[in-house]
Amino acid sequence: MALIELPTWAALAPALVLGATALVLFLIDSIEPEPDTTSPTLLTGVGLAGALSALGFNVWYLIAGTGQTTAIELFGGQLMVDGMTLVLGTIVASVLALVVIASYDYIAEEPHQAEYFSLLFLAATGMTLLGSVDSFATAFIALELSSLPSYALVSYLKDNRGSVEAGLKYFLVGALSSAIFAYGISLVYGATGSLQFDAVASAVDPTALPGILGVGIVMIVGGVAFKTASVPFHFWAPEAYEGAPTPISAFISSASKAAGFVLAFRIFTTAFPIDAVAGTIDWLLLFQVLAVATMVLGNFAAATQENVKRMLAYSSVGHAGYVLIALAALTPQANPDLVLGAGMLHLLVYGFMNTGAFLFVGLAEYWDVGRTFEDYNGLASEAPVASVAMTVFLFSLAGLPVGAGFLSKYVLFGAAVGAGLWWLAAIGAIASALSLFYYSRVVKALWIEEPTEEFEIDSYPVGLYTAIVVAAVVTVLLLPAFGLASEEAIAAAGALV
Amino acid sequence: MTGAFDFAPAIALLPLAAFAVALFGGNYLPKRGALAGITALVGSLVLSIWALVTVAGGETYDADLYTFVAGQDTLSLHLGILIDPLSALMLVIVSLIALLVFVFSLGYMNDEDETGLPRYYAELSLFSFSMLAFVFADNLLMAFMFFELVGLCSYLLIGFWFREAGPSSAAKKAFLVTRFGDYFFLVGTVGIFATFGTGMFAGSESFPHMAEQALAGEHSVRTFLGLGEQAWFTVLGLLVLGGVIGKSAQFPLHTWLPDAMEGPTPVSALIHAATMVAAGVYLVARMYGFYLLSPTALGVIALVGGFTALFAASMALVKQELKQVLAYSTISQYGYMMLALGGGGYVAAVFHLTTHAIFKALLFLGAGSVIIAMHHNENMWDMGGLKDKMPVTYYAFLSGSLALAGIFPFAGFWSKDEVLYETLIHGFGGSPLLLAGYAMGLLAVAFTGFYTFRMVFLTFHGEPRTADAEDPHGVRWNVKLPLAVLGILAAVAGVINLAPVEKVTGIHLTFLHDWLDMAPDSFGTAVHHYTGDHGLMHEFAGYTAAHPLGETGTVLVGAAISLGLALAGAGLAYRLYAVPSPTEHTDKLGSLKTLLMNNYYQDEYQVWLARDVTLPLSRAADTFDQSVIDGVVNATSSVSLFAGERVRRIQTGLVTHYATLITLSLVALLVVFGYLGGWF
Repeated sequence: MALIELPTWAALAPALVLGATALVLFLIDSIEPEPDTTSPTLLTGVGLAGALSALGFNVWYLIAGTGQTTAIELFGGQLMVDGMTLVLGTIVASVLALVVIASYDYIAEEPHQAEYFSLLFLAATGMTLLGSVDSFATAFIALELSSLPSYALVSYLKDNRGSVEAGLKYFLVGALSSAIFAYGISLVYGATGSLQFDAVASAVDPTALPGILGVGIVMIVGGVAFKTASVPFHFWAPEAYEGAPTPISAFISSASKAAGFVLAFRIFTTAFPIDAVAGTIDWLLLFQVLAVATMVLGNFAAATQENVKRMLAYSSVGHAGYVLIALAALTPQANPDLVLGAGMLHLLVYGFMNTGAFLFVGLAEYWDVGRTFEDYNGLASEAPVASVAMTVFLFSLAGLPVGAGFLSKYVLFGAAVGAGLWWLAAIGAIASALSLFYYSRVVKALWIEEPTEEFEIDSYPVGLYTAIVVAAVVTVLLLPAFGLASEEAIAAAGALV
Repeated sequence: MTGAFDFAPAIALLPLAAFAVALFGGNYLPKRGALAGITALVGSLVLSIWALVTVAGGETYDADLYTFVAGQDTLSLHLGILIDPLSALMLVIVSLIALLVFVFSLGYMNDEDETGLPRYYAELSLFSFSMLAFVFADNLLMAFMFFELVGLCSYLLIGFWFREAGPSSAAKKAFLVTRFGDYFFLVGTVGIFATFGTGMFAGSESFPHMAEQALAGEHSVRTFLGLGEQAWFTVLGLLVLGGVIGKSAQFPLHTWLPDAMEGPTPVSALIHAATMVAAGVYLVARMYGFYLLSPTALGVIALVGGFTALFAASMALVKQELKQVLAYSTISQYGYMMLALGGGGYVAAVFHLTTHAIFKALLFLGAGSVIIAMHHNENMWDMGGLKDKMPVTYYAFLSGSLALAGIFPFAGFWSKDEVLYETLIHGFGGSPLLLAGYAMGLLAVAFTGFYTFRMVFLTFHGEPRTADAEDPHGVRWNVKLPLAVLGILAAVAGVINLAPVEKVTGIHLTFLHDWLDMAPDSFGTAVHHYTGDHGLMHEFAGYTAAHPLGETGTVLVGAAISLGLALAGAGLAYRLYAVPSPTEHTDKLGSLKTLLMNNYYQDEYQVWLARDVTLPLSRAADTFDQSVIDGVVNATSSVSLFAGERVRRIQTGLVTHYATLITLSLVALLVVFGYLGGWF
């Protein structure tokens, strides 16, 4: 029995708070007397308040059990709130908070800071909404709401050729993918006469127009694959992550990827359950192919990079491959709660460790130490705390038991084995072993190699440091607290299937 | 109601606490951590005695403490405590000897201003902890864990003076040789767990009991390698025996023990009397119910024991250094215990283990006292005439020597006589193999008498042969007290089991037998479960007692022969060495002496095994590893990097290429899945 009975629309509070914060930031921007005179501290403060209150709402609802026994439906079944929504909201809001703190230092010298923060919050609103969509129409809108500000954010450094070029490429590939996604939706509508997920599922008729439905589903997979940076829709990712301001890379590669996956989980468990569409298309096989291609390609490409940020970009592609296992392993003999829950858990842990790793790169850029592995040589002697944190992130990403990345990968591969896909888990394990190679190159550079030249480090940015340390602490703490998180995630996944 | 058993874990944990205190706080404590160890061991001794008294009251204890691997539908691994008469007795022995060694160390180490004392006392405490925990372990895996810890501690302590070449090399040797045996023990432990699903020593769920039922056809167990049940149990028993042979320094893994004399003398006392070496024999006694099921394993134990007893005694005949003689005597005496176990003399083995713990600790501490006096010179030919200068040491040492030589009525006489008697009667009772063990053991008695008294006379009698012997360095109460305590015990400890007297006079005097027989039937570790007409020994090992000269006659004749031989050996030593200026009579042995001095070239052949057999094999394996395995690994990484480079080239940087690739991939997916889904 709650103390206060909230109206049902209040279940959307996390998204609403984020949207409102975006508007407040716009307001501050529009009433400032001269351009770029608003104190960055104020902007960061407002942003942090917005992100943390969104996080607070999500955690509160998770604990209170909002929408977790029966999903809350809103606007005639266009939106809904359940456990999965809240878990995604938690991931997005956490990553957002870290990115906001880190941006305080990173964009300190740049103009148009209010727009930056405002766009960040609009994108976050879209990502949070992606967790509560219940129809293809809202799904498309939320997807675009998260994508369009992202394009602008990637090219935020207007005087930097790399940033602008990356934004353009991201936009073009994004436009193509959105077109494919929208086309897929229209074909599904044509085949089923409905956009609402449950209605689509009940209207699926494998005998009538199988080709139209099948093509539609493959195209929807394409749209989702773009958002999650999965092969073959990943081409934008290395370019965009490398060119974008680093906090934005962190944000897109962590939060945006999580949102894309939650959308995929929802579409393929609610709208296209495998029992209903198996006669038309075996999407398990499709995701198995994508998972293998993504894991292999992401990790192999990462192994040969010279540039740390680009290496992280490819590793991010590789991690999308691991999470794809969650969809690929929804076989009849699998425990679906565990499989999907494992995917959610990996996204949660990945949100912290990947954001932290990107922010460390942002810290290195802030100090102008350079971008390649060699440039990082001996950095640990100058920045031991941040280097310890980076070591934690990288080893956790590789799946060593210093952080929760070990457990989430373990559960994920274990779930795949439980689903009878031991070969998929084996490929994942081999890919992880390969990833240890390139992650440890960074660690080796940081701790073992001698610096090639003197670092010129004159200040230690508080914001970036705070974000990195918080991310590291959470990554480590999730290891003992894994049981707690996994209960929530598996319960949230269980409500879906 | 709290009783002794509620405090049972503390028996081992107190020394562990002392370990931590000495290690971290030793430098700030008055005696560098010795007092912490002494306090802890006084506590352990009191608790052990309390446990002993409680066991005497008819109670026993077998409890799980902590399950560290809880198996679902399979075996679980846990730590637990088993206190029955055997382990209670052993706990008292271990904590008593360890306590005396600590006190003695005050004189041997502190008074001599050694450095690194906190480390010394920390390691000594850890050693005591490991051994005590090993003794009360209720399952084989826990026993193995602490068995290994005992080995580690002995490595640390033998190599205490690690800056010198000798001790560090001896420590490594001790570690490696015992590790070699432990390897078999580990395989045996895994085998026992795989076979029975448990490693418990006592109770109806224990592996000896399950093996017994399996042989009796009451239920079946899984065997491996296509062996029958009894053959498989023999294999398991022999595997575990590998660890025992290493730890108890039995032939052919005895070579580490004489080298271990490089450690501080109190450590030698502890290793020889109550901990490391005793661990092996104790393990056999602990799982005796299992060994009794396999006559082959028993035969191996008896022959290894008898042979070791004789073999080691022969090497002790010619040694020049005090501690070397004692080292070989230890090997020899443990050989007797193994002979007893193999020959069906369970009580005799425990009896000899007990008396030997006392008199060997005494002899080592006495030797330590002499070594202090001689300014750390250990060569007996540099001594002589110490009798009058250090009377307490002399009389204590003499008491220990009489016990070691097996002279009536000292403790060693009774226990050694019982060992030989048990072997003899079972040998006559249809197991002629044991008679070979008996013969070797009997011959070793004469050798023992000779080398023991050669040592006594050379050290204490005659004229002082060096300046140090003229004017020995005095020792204090902390050396004399342990010597006095042990000296008295060595003289009288035989009364706990006067089996021959009982047989002759009919008065009930076999208290140790009664004591060990008190274990409850549910444990299956009582003597009557092992021996007698319905015991395992008769049912499964086929041992029967026979008295060719009648019971009393056999007892008396056996005792007379062994005492006669001991006296003959001692008498010869008296004639040769109890003179003012003795000479090296062993030179008359000629090339035999060279052979004995070189320990039958045992070290040489083991070095040959390591250097000329194992090393080339290792080199070949290394070559294989470097070329084939590493080649495969390197090739994998080359292929990976090459593939990575290819993959990287897909990313051309041109967005038009990306759009083309995305579209083509989508089309390819559509075609493939359209074909699979039958859309066309």
